[in-house]
Amino acid sequence: MSASRSRRRGLHLLLGLAAVLAAWPGWAGAAEEVTSPISRYREREMSTGFYEEYEVRPRRMLPYVPGGPQARKGVVSASTQVSALVGLGFLSDAHQGIKFYERRTCQECHPEQARSMHATRAKITCRQCHGGEPMASVNHYYSPLNPIRRHAYVCAKCHAGASASFATYVVHEPLPTSLATQKSFPLLFYVFWIMMALAVGTFALFIPHALVWGLREFIHKIKEGRHEH
Amino acid sequence: MSTEARLRRFSPAQRLFHVTLMLCFAIQSATGLARLFSETPWGQGVGRLFGGYEASLTVHKYVGLCMLALFVAHVLYLLATLRRRGLAAVLGPDSIAPAPADLKQFFQHVGWMLGLTNHPRFDRWGYWEKFDYWAVFWGMAIIGGTGLLLWDPLASSALMPGWGINLALWVHRLEAALAMAHVFLIHFFIGHLRPHSFPMDMAMFEGSVSLEASRGERAAWVERLEQTGALPGALVQPAAPARRLLFLVFGFAVMAFCLYLLVGGLANVTRVTW
Ligand code: HEC
Ligand code: HEC
Ligand code: HEC
Repeated sequence: MSASRSRRRGLHLLLGLAAVLAAWPGWAGAAEEVTSPISRYREREMSTGFYEEYEVRPRRMLPYVPGGPQARKGVVSASTQVSALVGLGFLSDAHQGIKFYERRTCQECHPEQARSMHATRAKITCRQCHGGEPMASVNHYYSPLNPIRRHAYVCAKCHAGASASFATYVVHEPLPTSLATQKSFPLLFYVFWIMMALAVGTFALFIPHALVWGLREFIHKIKEGRHEH
Repeated sequence: MSTEARLRRFSPAQRLFHVTLMLCFAIQSATGLARLFSETPWGQGVGRLFGGYEASLTVHKYVGLCMLALFVAHVLYLLATLRRRGLAAVLGPDSIAPAPADLKQFFQHVGWMLGLTNHPRFDRWGYWEKFDYWAVFWGMAIIGGTGLLLWDPLASSALMPGWGINLALWVHRLEAALAMAHVFLIHFFIGHLRPHSFPMDMAMFEGSVSLEASRGERAAWVERLEQTGALPGALVQPAAPARRLLFLVFGFAVMAFCLYLLVGGLANVTRVTW
């Protein structure tokens, strides 16, 4: 009697779960390129970079907006010169009209971007991803880093078979501790601080706990020693 | 060696779980830190022990897989115990599952430390031991899960959006940092440094504890064994002195290595590009 009811409840739970899964937005799936319903570009394919007619525009899948939603323009703290430029982020030459560009290193003007793991650990240079001159803004229609073709034109040079989903990895990861990250990559920000809170909570409790405990036993030991004499 | 009575506390299977976990944990800490600190000479030095920056990752991956296998084996062991002993294995006094009494004993224990109350009458497992056990449990799930996602970013980005790798790496790092700090500071302090255990609490290696000492520390446990008549069956021989020496050397070697990692890591945090 109750067994059959609980079985029915289990069935309902499963059906509910299946419904939720079916309605779940297909994150990564939506970004996959599909040639035909049966055979598809799979992630192992060595990219030719020639996708044209099969191309679907990948969703930008934005939990990450460089600089936050309001700050789409202005990666570097904008000089007057820069703010005078129109359509920033969509230029065919991102550095057009910027003085002394040739005489300085990328890191001097873009210190935030220089902290990426590709640079610090693998010593990959900026140009291996951003290309030669003229260097287009990331969102320029023909930029190799445009999310439409980033995976094929850039990532796949080293990560054979990179998919559009893979290319949404945030190469220039913002510092999770920084308050600005709450706007630009909120998930990273909250994940970081939740883990931090867990750690701080654990240690705030157990470090004093261990120390006082040790001290207490120490005092006991001394007292016992005295009794024996 | 005195011929004091020893009370059985850990089964051989449990001791095997602990010692394997301990070795895996030390290797994962070292190889993980070698990657994290690869910009510093210290991190490069640790990496060299395992054959360099690239090889550290290979070691890290396969030892991680062993650790997950150990975790699965442990869960199967739990299920087998549950089947053999029934629900009493969870609800009974021998259970490692947290119970309301633990909270009470925690406050009473703190009261005792401050000289306000009597020592609580612990049963087989104290609340701190339960916490340690479950901390490993959730740590395994979190670090192991994110570790599998990081194993092959190309494959895992087919299951989730690529920016999930950014999150997975941070969760992996932070949970690992929490686990290492907890083990290297608190677990070692409780197992080695506090006067009760100094120089080393061998219960987890030897499998037994002194009956006399347990009467004071875990009064409820010993009393329960006496009342149910299980005490005589739970008494075992002490380990041979040579074995005890081996445990001591092994325990100290692993601890020294881990403390080296702790100190080196802390001294070098500011030299890493975060
Ligand atoms: C003189 C300082 C300076 C130097 C040197 C410099 N940049 Fe820039 N860069 C800028 C400014 C200013 C902008 C435009 C600001 C903006 O987009 O907010 C810009 C824009 C960009 C953009 C486009 C950003 C977007 O929104 O799409 C990229 C990519 C870029 N720089 C990469 C580089 C790389 C790679 C180098 C080294 C080869 C480099 N920059 C060197 C100042 C500099
Ligand atoms: C592994 C490839 C890679 C390397 C190496 C790389 N970048 Fe980028 N960069 C990217 C991608 C991808 C984006 C687009 C980010 C987005 O869409 O949000 C980007 C965006 C940028 C931007 C635009 C602002 C932002 O943060 O999104 C600037 C500026 C920039 N890069 C500068 C640099 C500089 C300077 C270096 C060298 C220190 C460098 N990049 C190295 C892949 C790379
Ligand atoms: C010039 C070669 C090169 C290019 C181009 C490149 N990468 Fe990488 N990437 C590497 C190397 C080398 C590593 C290994 C870094 C390390 O030591 O951990 C790596 C590692 C990674 C990782 C693994 C990070 C982790 O936490 O394990 C991801 C994700 C990644 N790259 C994404 C990208 C994306 C997205 C792009 C395209 C925008 C890209 N890469 C372009 C060389 C490259």
